[in-house]
Amino acid sequence: MKTFFIATSFLVGTLGWAQTPARPDITGYWELGFDSASVPPASLVQPVTPAIEREQMRHDAEWIRYCVPLGMPYILSQSPLDIRQSPTVTAMVSRVPSSTRYVFTDGRKHPEKEDLDPTSNGHSIGRWEGDAFVVDTIGFNDRGVSRLPGGGVRTPDSHLTERYRLMDNGNRLSVTLTWEDPKVFQKPHTYEYRYYRIPKITGARVLPCDTGDQERAKFLMSAFGN
Amino acid sequence: MRFTQYLLAAVALSSPVWAQSNVPDLSGMWLVQDPGSGSFEEWFANVPKPELRPAIVEDNKKLEAAAKAGAVVNTARRTAACPIGNFPLMMASSPALNLVQTRDEILLGAESNRARFIYMDGRDHSETKEPGYRVSGLGHSVGRWEGNTLVVDTMAFPAQVCDNRHPQMATPAGGRAKETTRLTERFQLVNHDELTITFTYEDDTVFVKPHTFTYKFKRVPEGTPFESADDPRDTAFEKRQYGSVETPKQK
Repeated sequence: MKTFFIATSFLVGTLGWAQTPARPDITGYWELGFDSASVPPASLVQPVTPAIEREQMRHDAEWIRYCVPLGMPYILSQSPLDIRQSPTVTAMVSRVPSSTRYVFTDGRKHPEKEDLDPTSNGHSIGRWEGDAFVVDTIGFNDRGVSRLPGGGVRTPDSHLTERYRLMDNGNRLSVTLTWEDPKVFQKPHTYEYRYYRIPKITGARVLPCDTGDQERAKFLMSAFGN
Repeated sequence: MRFTQYLLAAVALSSPVWAQSNVPDLSGMWLVQDPGSGSFEEWFANVPKPELRPAIVEDNKKLEAAAKAGAVVNTARRTAACPIGNFPLMMASSPALNLVQTRDEILLGAESNRARFIYMDGRDHSETKEPGYRVSGLGHSVGRWEGNTLVVDTMAFPAQVCDNRHPQMATPAGGRAKETTRLTERFQLVNHDELTITFTYEDDTVFVKPHTFTYKFKRVPEGTPFESADDPRDTAFEKRQYGSVETPKQK
C-alpha cells in the first residue's frame, strides 16, 4: 500500500514536471580556456589599412580608458561569464565594465527602429531550436569595444545571431556568433567560443576601473599619441 | 522490495526539481511605487521612522546643515578603490529593477551597468572574510525560500563609500548601512503584477531596534533596461556632473 502511494506521488510529480518542456539549462559560471576560440578571418567589404586599424584601436582604447560599458561581443571574450537562464529572460554578466546583458524569451519582438534605444549590448531576443538557444540581437550603439574577433567592427547596423549549445554532458558550452552587416562584411562572419563550466566565481565580481588614474590613462592611450 | 527501493530513489532524485518548480518565479521588471510625492528624496524616506542612536541623530543634523549650505552634489572622485553600487539607492531607484531568478543565483539588475547577486546555492557569508574579497556597496547576499517568500540575508556593506555628502550609505529615514549592518529582505509576490519587499535593517551602532519598512513594486510588462548614455569624453560632462546644481546663496 505504501508502495502504491509512493508510486502515485512520483507519477503525479513526473507528469507535472513533464508539462514544462524540457530545455537545456545554460545557467552557470563559464570560463574561456586557452583553446576556447576558433576564429577565421572575416571577409571585409573594405580593406583595413594601417590607418583604419589604428583608428579602430584608438576608439576601443578610449572607451576602456573611460570605464564605460564595453558591450558585445567583448563581454563574451572575458571570463568568467555568469549566465542566468529563467523562463522569460536570460542574463549574462561579465566582470569587465559592462551592463548586464538581457536576452528576452517572453515572446516579445525587437522594438521598432524609432523606439529602439541603442546600447553597447544591443537588444536581444531568444528562442529555442531543438537543443540550441538562438539569440538575435540588433540595436547596438557605437560605444565600447567595437572591434570584432577575426576583423571588422560592430556598428549600429550590425545584426548578430548566436547559437548556445551545451556539450560534454553540460560541462562545456559552445557559442557560435554570426555577424551580418553589409557595409562591413562581404558575407556573414562566423566564429565559435567554447567555454568550460566552473563551479563558482571567486574573487571580485566586478573589476575595478578608475577614470582618474592618469598613469593608467597614459599607458592605454600612449600608442595613439594621446 | 527492490522495486520499492527504486521508487524511493526516483522520488528522492525528482523531489528537489519538483519542489523548485513550486516556488514563485519573481523574474521580470519591477517598478518601485512612489507613494505620491514625486520627489525622490521624500519618497525614499517615506517609511516608518526608525529610532536612531544619538550619534546618528547628531550626524544627520550636520548633514542637513551641510546640504542647506550647498553641499548637495557629490564631488568625490571615482577611484578604483571605491565600492561599486549603493544598495539603498538601488532598491529605491526610479527605473525598474530587472529580476532574473534561477535556482542557484538570483540576479537583480538596476538602471544600468552592474547587477546585484543573491546566492541561493547554500553558501554563507564566509567568502567576505577571505583575503582579496572586494567589498561592494550592494553587500553580500544569500537567500532561501520560506514557503512562497524569498528571504535574503545581506551583510558586508562598506564602511565608507565615495560620496562626500554621505560617506556612509544612507538608508531611508536617516539610517545607515555600513560594515556592521545586517539586512533581511522578504520578497513576496502579491499577485502576478505586484511584488513587495520588506526590509529590516539591524545595526546596534545605528538603530535602537531593527528598522522595518516595505516597498511596493509593480510589474513592467516588456520593459527594457536602460544603459547610461553619459559620455565622459565630453568636456562638458564633468561640468554637468559636478556643476549642474546651483549653490544656494549664503546668508
